[in-house]
Amino acid sequence: MTPTPLASLFVDPDADPSPNRRDVLRWCVACGAAGAVSHLPIEMTLGQDVVEPAILPGPKLEGVARHKALFWEELEEGKIKCVLCPRECEVADVERGYCGVRENRGGAYQSLVYGAVCSANIDPIEKKPLFHYLPGTPAFSIATAGCNIECKFCQNWKISQYRPEQVPSTLVSPDRLVSNCASRDCPTIAYTYSEPVIFYEYMHDTAALARQRGIGSVMISNGYIQEKPLRQLCTHLTGVKIDFKAFSERFYADTCAGELKPVLKTLETLKEIGIWFELVILIIPTLNDDPKEIKEMSEWVVKHLGPDVPMHFTRFHPTYRITNLPRTPVATIERCRKLALDAGVRYVYVGNVPMHPGENTYCHNCNHELIRRVGFRIASNKMVNGKCPKCKTSIPGVWSQESALAFKPRAAASQAGPG
Amino acid sequence: MSMSSTRRQFLARSGAAMAGLAGGVDLLASTASAVELANQADAGDPSLQQPIRPRVAIARDEILTRGRLTQHRDLLVKMLNASIQRVADTPTATEAWRLLFKPSDRVGIKVNTLGLSTQPAVVDAIVAGLRLADVPAENVVIWDRFDVELAQAGFTLNKSGRGVQCRGTDGDAAGSGYQATIESSGEIGSSFSRIVAEQVDALICVPVLKDHNLAGASLGMKNFYGAIHNPNKYHDHNCDPYIVDVVSHRFIRPKWKLTVCDATRAQYHAGPARHPGFAWPLGGLIVGTDFVAADAVATDLLESQRKTKGLKSLDEDKRPTKYIATAGARGLGVCDLRKIERIEV
Repeated sequence: MTPTPLASLFVDPDADPSPNRRDVLRWCVACGAAGAVSHLPIEMTLGQDVVEPAILPGPKLEGVARHKALFWEELEEGKIKCVLCPRECEVADVERGYCGVRENRGGAYQSLVYGAVCSANIDPIEKKPLFHYLPGTPAFSIATAGCNIECKFCQNWKISQYRPEQVPSTLVSPDRLVSNCASRDCPTIAYTYSEPVIFYEYMHDTAALARQRGIGSVMISNGYIQEKPLRQLCTHLTGVKIDFKAFSERFYADTCAGELKPVLKTLETLKEIGIWFELVILIIPTLNDDPKEIKEMSEWVVKHLGPDVPMHFTRFHPTYRITNLPRTPVATIERCRKLALDAGVRYVYVGNVPMHPGENTYCHNCNHELIRRVGFRIASNKMVNGKCPKCKTSIPGVWSQESALAFKPRAAASQAGPG
Repeated sequence: MSMSSTRRQFLARSGAAMAGLAGGVDLLASTASAVELANQADAGDPSLQQPIRPRVAIARDEILTRGRLTQHRDLLVKMLNASIQRVADTPTATEAWRLLFKPSDRVGIKVNTLGLSTQPAVVDAIVAGLRLADVPAENVVIWDRFDVELAQAGFTLNKSGRGVQCRGTDGDAAGSGYQATIESSGEIGSSFSRIVAEQVDALICVPVLKDHNLAGASLGMKNFYGAIHNPNKYHDHNCDPYIVDVVSHRFIRPKWKLTVCDATRAQYHAGPARHPGFAWPLGGLIVGTDFVAADAVATDLLESQRKTKGLKSLDEDKRPTKYIATAGARGLGVCDLRKIERIEV
């Protein structure tokens, strides 16, 4: 698990739409972003997010890192029911939930990954991808082992689909993580790579501490979480990205071992809470690229979440258990983008196609180019105080750390008082 | 049936279910060859044209329930050898062991150390049997998922290369004990323990007769969840068909020669963790070469005990052992109790 060598990042045997190294360099020079080239190795990687947590040196974890779990109920004969995620695993003593990182020990549920960091990087926030959240800033990105679904196309399956004992990890307390982040001038901690919901307690405590010290927290998640823990977590988070796998129950069942309905519920809850969030849809040829489905998904987004929630359609490349399908044609991604724009979504992006115009942000009012991107790097940002310099329209998003940290979740409709 | 069968007949019985093998399941080369051999050689024998009933031996002695099991080592050896002799239908236990194992075999003994654990004394008896087959001690490895769980269950870890080896897949550097690749089998996608995938030619499965809160019963087939890196992903639908998908894999099915279910201290409810309130001191071993038949018989015993204690059947408790029927339907072995020869030893 080492960073991808520079040379290999620009070798793409079957991707004629993708630029070669020379194209990228030429383009960067042309747009005045040549200085960004030195950062390209990690940022331009399409997959393989995982690197050893060398930026967080510390004691190697032996075994697991036990911590009392939140959100579970006692059942008879020592069993428990986990109510953190929609799966609601009923777990007998000595057994683990589906995620593999939460265990029943004598009738009490425990997290086994509290502070067990297996991956740590400083990534551009654009890599998450969050395009409307402090563009051009670094995010201190961490993960532990485990996931509560199983996507057969998972790029990070070597950490997400393994149990904690099987992944080399370093023990990092919330305090040390926040201190490291601060010392590296990162305004944000990103809980990412695997599935943060399964290391909820660690994320929760770290995000709370980070907020106190002026650092925001973004969760990069599949959205497979119950409403109560989500609301509690959002009192500390400052942004969310949801991997919206598809708009069909069948895809969720067959390809992800999950369900669509709880994810839709999460998205509606996020909208209700008022936290900034963006959506990513990885388009896989023949599995979730049906134009009708994309149209319906986009219309659902506009109707239930509003037109301002950005959608990122990204290219799939073969990995893990789906190795028999080709990379997604760029034309397919472009078609998805058009369908979403036609449905009324204001900010729709093309992902995993470096230098594509669809990577850029355009004002939804006057179509003026606001942010130009090269992969995950900002080539230019013309916005002024979160507004279009040409027509003065406010652009939805989180454009300053002050506004990120000022976020307060709205109460649930059922919790709100009269008036 | 004669008191002593031929090697061909025994091998045919061991792999009886192969004859009705369902489509879509990888054939296990060694047993298939054995069945083929037996069928060819006995083509003219009308008795072998009939379905062959696999044998499952149930050996019990109340003495085993008293005191520490290690005090009864000789009795365990005696009971195990008698069981294998009856299952193999050979004149001596030595011949039975030699029918199953070659001196060159590298034998993996898969124990179960999660919750109510396999007793080391039972494994000692198995190792003694392997000596009868001239399998060198160094060729035998007792294994499960974790070093720590093996140690807690009373096994002495040994990674020295001398004597009988004992180690967990997760015992060394994190993750190193599993293959780097993902193997697909039916609906599962898993990395297998390098022990089962690369380091053994023959497997002896030593589960514990115990209840399981999701699968219904944790027996021989379920025990091989300990061979994959992600068993937590495969507990929905009462673990069906996932358990069968795991044991169907080429790393397990062709190598699996013998099941010795530890029923010395069983548990009829609230498993797989140890629960004294449902302890069942059976003082027995359940032995078979058809692993589906062995699981079917063990489940039948478990159901009987639950009935005796006034508990719901596993089916009524919404924990049917569906995977055993699936294994039978796929031709991995015989699940129909009427077609299994149950032998009390």
